[in-house]
Amino acid sequence: MAFPMAVERWLDVARMDELARQGTPVHRIDARAQTVTTLLFIGVVMSFARDELSALMPFFIYPVALMSAGRIPAASLLRKLAVAMPFAVAVGLLNPVFDTRPALALGPLHVSSGWLSFLSIMLRCLLTVSAALLLVACTGMQRLCEGLVRLGVPRVFAVQLLFLYRYLFLLADEGRRMTRGIELRSPGVRGVRFRVYVSLIGHLLLRAMARAERIYHAMQARGFDGRIRLQFTSPLRLADPLFVGGWTLFFAVARVWNLAEALGALLMKGVG
Amino acid sequence: MHMADALVSPVVGGTMWLAACGLIGHSVRRIEASAKDHLVPLMGVLGAFVFTAQMINFTIPGTGSSGHLGGGLLLAALLGPHAALLVIASVLTVQALFFADGGLLALGCNIVNLGFFPAYVAYPWVYRVIVRGRYGAMRGSVAALAASVLGLQLGALSVVLQTQASGIAELPFGAFAALMLPIHLAIGVVEGCVTAAVVAFVARARPEVLPVADAEPVRSLRPVLAALLIAAALTGGLLSGWASSLPDGLEWAIARLSGTEEVSALRGTWHARLSAVQERTAVMPDYAFRQTPLSARPDGSDGASAESTTARADAPSALPLGTSVAGVVGGAVTLLVISWLGFVFRKWPRAV
Amino acid sequence: MPSVIEIKDASYVYPDGTQALHAVSLCVEAGEAVALVGANGAGKSTLLLHMNGTLLATQGEVRVAGVEVSRLTLSHARRTVGMVFQDPDDQLFMPTVEEDVAFGPRHAGMAQDDVERRTHEALARVGMSHLRMRPPYRLSAGEKRAVAIATVLAMAPGVLVMDEPSSNLDPRGRRRLIAQLRSFEHARVIATHDLELVVEVCTRVIVLDGGRVVAQGPVRELLNDEARMLAHGLERPHILRHQHPH
Repeated sequence: MAFPMAVERWLDVARMDELARQGTPVHRIDARAQTVTTLLFIGVVMSFARDELSALMPFFIYPVALMSAGRIPAASLLRKLAVAMPFAVAVGLLNPVFDTRPALALGPLHVSSGWLSFLSIMLRCLLTVSAALLLVACTGMQRLCEGLVRLGVPRVFAVQLLFLYRYLFLLADEGRRMTRGIELRSPGVRGVRFRVYVSLIGHLLLRAMARAERIYHAMQARGFDGRIRLQFTSPLRLADPLFVGGWTLFFAVARVWNLAEALGALLMKGVG
Repeated sequence: MHMADALVSPVVGGTMWLAACGLIGHSVRRIEASAKDHLVPLMGVLGAFVFTAQMINFTIPGTGSSGHLGGGLLLAALLGPHAALLVIASVLTVQALFFADGGLLALGCNIVNLGFFPAYVAYPWVYRVIVRGRYGAMRGSVAALAASVLGLQLGALSVVLQTQASGIAELPFGAFAALMLPIHLAIGVVEGCVTAAVVAFVARARPEVLPVADAEPVRSLRPVLAALLIAAALTGGLLSGWASSLPDGLEWAIARLSGTEEVSALRGTWHARLSAVQERTAVMPDYAFRQTPLSARPDGSDGASAESTTARADAPSALPLGTSVAGVVGGAVTLLVISWLGFVFRKWPRAV
Repeated sequence: MPSVIEIKDASYVYPDGTQALHAVSLCVEAGEAVALVGANGAGKSTLLLHMNGTLLATQGEVRVAGVEVSRLTLSHARRTVGMVFQDPDDQLFMPTVEEDVAFGPRHAGMAQDDVERRTHEALARVGMSHLRMRPPYRLSAGEKRAVAIATVLAMAPGVLVMDEPSSNLDPRGRRRLIAQLRSFEHARVIATHDLELVVEVCTRVIVLDGGRVVAQGPVRELLNDEARMLAHGLERPHILRHQHPH
């Protein structure tokens, strides 16, 4: 298998695009508002002390709300999360090894601060990664890039993102067809031999460059002069500043006060 | 070698974002100044190519493991440093957005680690110096090997520094470096071999697409480089001190603003996660489970009761155990409530 | 009134030294449909690229609506000649169908209202209005082809130049394409291997071989000349056998 997780990955990307074209209220929120809120969310989540757990919990409301109101299936997000976690898990797992100071006692159970920070890393990973994925799933590449340009990202970079995205599928497909040909002739072999690999990659590269040239011709034929004009049609609606403002307020409150612990204390008091 | 969001502090992530913005701005200006229109589709398609190439593996002889192309140096060799940086940045952005590789906060780190070092350090100062527009087998291989190894070593070192400065992962600097650098030495060698072989392949098949000797000056990169070095020094040196000794920058800043000195008293103890601010302002700070008076109000008590509890909890005898239990219970309940809200939200838009 | 496309003794040598065209001469009049046929490598695509100045003849001259194509007149040639490339994926590079169709008018500097009107008209003309917001890579081959044609129609060209328009199409898509091609009032130059399409759409055929024009004339007359067709790597289309059993 020279093309291990490619197939699911591509299906998933296409799927994200499908999801992004829904017309839910979340999808009608301006891409700029969503981008700003997402960045803010990630910044706030990451600003907590490194072994914070309970105070992070209320932040789950943001991805859950987007997911539900935007009708994004949890399964596809979780699959991506599983792909995304390994590096953070690997590095984070060393925290319990290097930091064994006791931090928490739940009856007979003693938890070291290393485990706390490991769990905290996992929580943040879940929160930030799902927020990033939801941003795309709720806006889509085109609206997102338009939003980026209007937020001041250089047009050349936004256009680059759009072109990259446009030709991802096509080139992946070419790559898949080429590797399939090799696989069929060498069954049971994982990966390809170096020389075959180089010629494979080389051909893929030459084809990509030839395609770029043809695209350039097609662009010139329709008046391309070095500058891609993009049309921005969507004006900001009242809902957009409300979206940003509301979430900002919530993030601020949840950042300053540990809402989860407060709730827990309230409940415990009731029990006690 | 993608840096992950969960390991980056906002200060480090933000600093690297600024650096990445500077780099992208610089490369965009240079690309626009070059007026090479054909770069627009070429950069896009080559970005897609790198994506595809990264998914094709080859077996590394005698090891049973497999490798693939990273692509940074190859892009620089084909497109020059500026377009290469932009392509790498776009690949990383799409990876962060669609595949959750890395993450948005860590995107700046990744653009610096995987884009800046191969395109703006390894390529102009090693690769081009050795190749000089001649793509002979020996010369090309040496250049690609040296440049890849250097680029990836710097990138890996940068990952270690950024992780360290963030202070979220516990790994000691030495151990992490000792882990990352050798691995990336191997990866660099593989990358160098692939890059050299692919460039040689292109040089045979379509020599006209490769840049000729000294087509672009590199001198004007100095200011960017200087800015980056300063940013790196700031992050690595200054901020790592704060990050490791303080709960975090934001709390530190808030504490400073509100004039509290308690942060330093709490520092380093297992109390650290409770900032002074939190204790001052929390609706129900540090609530002690065992200290709950028997006369506590019945369930469903409102804000008024919360305030009176706050007053009692100010007593120094508040037990951490209570805090943790309250945290665990509260956290669990919060999650339950949020998942329930999720179902509510899911129903809601259909009615609209 | 000058011919919409007039090529006189045009030769072209690629940078690597391959000579692709040898003194090609031809004319295309307003409103007529001309087929360009020839074996692979005969120079069809190279010749097409001369018609909008993507390639400039190394010798001889190319005139579009009476104006010689040169570096200075490129924009005139590109406004007049709408080029539909062989692979719609090369032509549809924008994120949505609508953006793609709007690309040409927008880059011609039109006002937003005009851009929108042109876009809607062009999409309606090829029957693809319902795909407006779709990304191009999610379309079928037939839909892609139709949208690619719409991107060119939106620029209101005088001539449509198409490279292998029926390649990769299923029978239904091909039927639809043929019906559309017949309906256009523009002058049409169609390079193709699909001789049945030529019979149904075109009035005149130009045969290329080895970068030279080796024959031109009315469709039925020329394509029925089996000996000549075979000599240039082509064949006599079946459709003519059934219609004209000589």
